[in-house]
Amino acid sequence: MGEPGLRLVPAYGGADVDLLVGKVARGDRQAFEALYDALSSAVYGLARRVVRDPSRAEDVTQEVFLDVWRTAARFDASLGKAKTWVLTIAHRRAVDAVRRSESQKRQDVHTAPDEVSHDEPADALITSEEHGAVRGCLDTLTDLQLESVRLAYFNGYTYNEVAQLLDKPLPTIKTRMRDGLIRLRDCLEGAR
Amino acid sequence: MSTDLHTLSGAYALDALSASEAEAFHTHLAECAVCRDEVRELRDAAAQMADVESMPAPAALRQRVLAAVDQTPQLPPLVTTLERARELKAKRRFQPRLLIAGAAAIAAVVFGVTQLDTGQAPVMSASASTVFHASDVHKATVSTSNGGKLVVATSRSLGKMAVETDGLPQLTERQVYQLWTVTNGVASSAGVLKDVRDGASMSMPGERTQVAITIEPAGGSQQPTTQPIVTVSPQSV
Repeated sequence: MGEPGLRLVPAYGGADVDLLVGKVARGDRQAFEALYDALSSAVYGLARRVVRDPSRAEDVTQEVFLDVWRTAARFDASLGKAKTWVLTIAHRRAVDAVRRSESQKRQDVHTAPDEVSHDEPADALITSEEHGAVRGCLDTLTDLQLESVRLAYFNGYTYNEVAQLLDKPLPTIKTRMRDGLIRLRDCLEGAR
Repeated sequence: MSTDLHTLSGAYALDALSASEAEAFHTHLAECAVCRDEVRELRDAAAQMADVESMPAPAALRQRVLAAVDQTPQLPPLVTTLERARELKAKRRFQPRLLIAGAAAIAAVVFGVTQLDTGQAPVMSASASTVFHASDVHKATVSTSNGGKLVVATSRSLGKMAVETDGLPQLTERQVYQLWTVTNGVASSAGVLKDVRDGASMSMPGERTQVAITIEPAGGSQQPTTQPIVTVSPQSV
């Protein structure tokens, strides 16, 4: 399919990720490369944020894209967006990696999620508006909602562990995770 | 109970449930369309949060991934999970069934609308019964160590196998039958059997993969915790 070595990144342009996954499902290698180019920053960034260690984040990223390649035919577009599908796989893989090494996680207990930052990617300008919306919406969450969501999502804690860390009752944390995400969702919808 | 489960949607979308809770919630999702929609939306929101963390991956990784992909076979479309089978069953009252046939070799998705005579197996899920009624079906009946029997059907044209499980003894409320695929001694869950009358179907496992059934605590387990009551090699059925 296509000429070897020829990169068709521009051909896919804005990279309609859903379309690409459909092509990958049919074994299209070029579509897979375009998909990698479209999503590798998001996947790697999330993996870095959750597992911290760069080389483990690379391993997670590789696992994620191999999963995507293997299971693309099982992606069901009626159940959500392809990008969310890929990032859901990435998150689960990253969390699994973190939970496998409890010690690493423990030592990060006192790292406030807000303190972790890294340089913006060079192409950040394109997406900065979108990211600004997400940040703005995260600001609308209560402290407890934000902390619960972030400790779970970015540090890989179970809600049980989050409840212990924040010294709050389990049902409270469970509820804050849900209403925090709901608020984020509603805010992002309004921002569109 | 279901209200209580429902509030776990946030933690589930954040992958913040324990393995057994996640499995239980996953099972609940099959029956709760509202929950499925909510989880989908909450995952979208979480994914946007992830997006803010974007960071270019090292250039060398691209080559590694592409090289690894060349060594990695693709899986055929998953025709039905147990949950999906139940969903199809629930839907078929309102619309003709949509059958998705997965052909292992060509990994192409073929959509077709078809009417099936399910008179012979009225309670079995649509997809399992599709396998049992395939023109190239192979069937085998095997005994299980807990005194039941299991009928296994495979269809190469559909690229699927299915099991009829109503010959299995009923379990207590605290137990479930769980299906596993076992390759080189490594077991992966293929789902929990919510109701033995439903049976189950799955994509045809590879040559070296066996399918096993164990009895697990309600909600299912991450890994088998008991000896299988039966193990079959679908390729030899």
